[in-house]
This record gives sequence, structure tokens and C-alpha cells, in this order.
Amino acid sequence: MNPLAYTGLAVGILFGFALQRGRFCMNSAFRDIVLLKDFTLIKAVGAAILVQMIGFSILALTGAVTLNPKPLFWGANITGGLIFGIGMVLAGGCASGITYRVGEGMVGAMSAVVGFGLAGLMTAMGVLKPIKDYLQSSTKIMTAEGTSLTLANIFGIEPTTLMLLIAAFSIGIWVILASRKKADAEDDFGSAPPSLWGRIFTSGWGWLATGIAIGLVGIRAYPASAAAGRNYPLGITGGWIGTWKALILPDTFFSWEALEVLGVVLGAAIAALIAKEFAIRAPAPKVLLQTFAGGFLMAFGAVTSSGCNVGHILSGVPMLSLGSIVGGISIILGAWLTAYIMFVRPEKA
Amino acid sequence: MTEEIKPTKTLDVCGEICPYPDVNSMTTLKKMNKGEILEVLTDYPLSVERIPRSAKKWGHKVLMVEQIDGPNHRILIEAFGLK
Repeated sequence: MNPLAYTGLAVGILFGFALQRGRFCMNSAFRDIVLLKDFTLIKAVGAAILVQMIGFSILALTGAVTLNPKPLFWGANITGGLIFGIGMVLAGGCASGITYRVGEGMVGAMSAVVGFGLAGLMTAMGVLKPIKDYLQSSTKIMTAEGTSLTLANIFGIEPTTLMLLIAAFSIGIWVILASRKKADAEDDFGSAPPSLWGRIFTSGWGWLATGIAIGLVGIRAYPASAAAGRNYPLGITGGWIGTWKALILPDTFFSWEALEVLGVVLGAAIAALIAKEFAIRAPAPKVLLQTFAGGFLMAFGAVTSSGCNVGHILSGVPMLSLGSIVGGISIILGAWLTAYIMFVRPEKA
Repeated sequence: MTEEIKPTKTLDVCGEICPYPDVNSMTTLKKMNKGEILEVLTDYPLSVERIPRSAKKWGHKVLMVEQIDGPNHRILIEAFGLK
């Protein structure tokens, strides 16, 4: 047992707390764009990515971490990403979303998580592994030096420099665009302005606070995970696989990521309990079947693609990994297609 | 006072997974006449925040968002009359 694995639990608790308070779910973030024309959550995602882009650069420049972007296996990234996107809409949440909602008491999320673990194991080490292996090995492209393809090595720019440039440029454009738009008054819809305790523990967080908080958790996660032998920032998929392995296999203890994922459930539960938002609640049985199937597809997609929404979009995009960018775009497209078929088209009928 | 507002229709989406609370609320509102009041009962925190946002965007008037018990919330919306 690795004692440093326990830092995963601490990081996970912070992550889960922030996810619950911020209602941060990438499934909603992407889907709301096409379904509700609501950009609130995608702005939180953007903020979290940009904060980590800056944070990971600083960590790398100070030698606290060595950047470890995932490789490009374009066939696996695209196929896995699309399937993950489909699964995410069926499950009603992304990988981190279904995980934190277990902590809120949502049985639909629990069903999704069970499907997720099952497919995760099957794809990582079971009957579905040959598919993943084939897709990854047949479409893997590395640099001449044998490292992962990133925007940095494609353009021949030093990674941390490019990360900081992209972050600075993006933030600059964002601030300019935001200041030109007329400020929309945030509606309280009748409630009294909350105290500081209220703003942290009982009201939902705004998108900027949420994005920054999650970004900071990611920055904290990276060196902690690296010290425990897993050189990568936040993840979810490996965490559920690691949890099941610890429970099923002999002489296997919980990995850093497994403890992180359990921490997410715990942190979200704590946040929900304090905010009086915890309750065991379940949808109709056929919906439980749907979320189980969604979770199953998600994990198959994530293991095939070597990343879920957290591994690729939250952690990989800040490092400019091409595999994560391709995987991330595929996730979004898969989700949009599914959301269109399930929700937008029936409306138009 | 919430007791004074009598909803024309009540939509109970408690227990529903994302995005059904929102989709059902918006669909129902679209079919209501101007001035009619929809009462949405939901226990999904994101929808508690998002349904008022979406309603406002479509021109409906959010009258109140009230926590009943735990995550159970009640949202009262006056329809704009989109039919």
C-alpha cells in the first residue's frame, strides 16, 4: 500500500465539493449549448481549463511536475470519444458528473457508475480489451522522439511558453468580449442576498468561481498524484477501474486515482449535506436502465480513447495534447448528435 | 406569499435525470397561454438554477424559486404565451 495514495482522497474531496457546489457537469455544459442555448457551464469549463493551463506551466517551469500529455491514437480517440459522448447523454452526466451525483444521493447516477465500472474493467482488462488495443495500436502517431504529439511540438514552440501564450490570449479575448456585452443582472428570484457562509455552503456557485476552484484543485492534484507514482492531473475513469480492482482482486489496494474518485463522492456528499441538498432520489426503472447503458458506453469510450471528459478535456487540453484535443472534440460531437436526436428533434416534430 | 399564487398547472419532475426537468418545463411553458402559471417541482440542483434562466430567456416571468425541503424546490413561472 502506498501511503502517498491518500493525498488522492484529499484532492478528491476538494474536487467533489467544488463539483457539487458548482453543479459542474460537462455533459450539461456541452448539451445546454445546443438544447437551451445556455452557456453558463461551458464558461466554467473554459475557466477551469485556462486556470490549469497557466498553473501546469508554472508547475513545469518550477520543476514541480514534468508535463505528461497523453499520446494521439486518432482512431481510438475519435471512436472512443464519440461513444463516450453518446453514453454521457444517456447517463445524464459526464464521468465526473455521475460520480459526484452519487454523493448527492442520486440513484440514476449510481446506476450509471455501476455500468461505468463494469465496462471499464471489461475494456481495460477483459473481453473488450482487444478492441481498445487494436484501435489504439493501429492509429498511434508519436513524434520522432517517441513523445506525445502536442500543439507545442507540432508548431515547434516550447510547451510552457505556448500554454501561457494561449491562456493569456484566450483570457484577453474573453475579457474584451465580456466587457462589450451589456451586463445581465444576476437574478436572485426573490431570495435575500446570502452571507459569506451562504455563498460558499448553501447557494450554488457562479461559473467563474467554480471554474477557478476546479482549476486550482487540478493544479494541486498534479504534483500530489505524481508523488504517488501517477504522473497526471485529475482523472475519473482510472479511478473507478482502480476501485473495482481493489475490491475484487487480491493484494490490490486502492490507487491514488481510486481514492480520488471515492473522495469525489465523499466531498460531494459533504457539500450536499451542508447545503441540505442531499436526498436519495431515483428516476423510473427504465431510466435506471438507460443510465446504466450510458455509463457502460462512457467507460468503454473512455478506456478506448485513454481519457474521459476529465482525463482529456479537463486535464489533457491544458497540456495541449493532440490526443486529448481530438478526443475532447469527439466527445462533444457525440454528445451533440445524441442530444439532438433525443431532445431537439422531438421538439421540432 | 406563495399561498396567494394559484398555479394553473403543476409539473412534478422530482427524481428525473438531467435534462428532463428542464426540457419538460420548457415544453410545458411553450404550450401555455399568456398569464397562466406553471408550478415546477424539482429536486435537481442544476435545474433549480437553470430552469429560471431558461424561462427568462424565452420571455416567461419567474415569480418565485422556493426551497421546500432538502433538495426539493418549487418554481413558479408565468407563461409568456408562445403559442
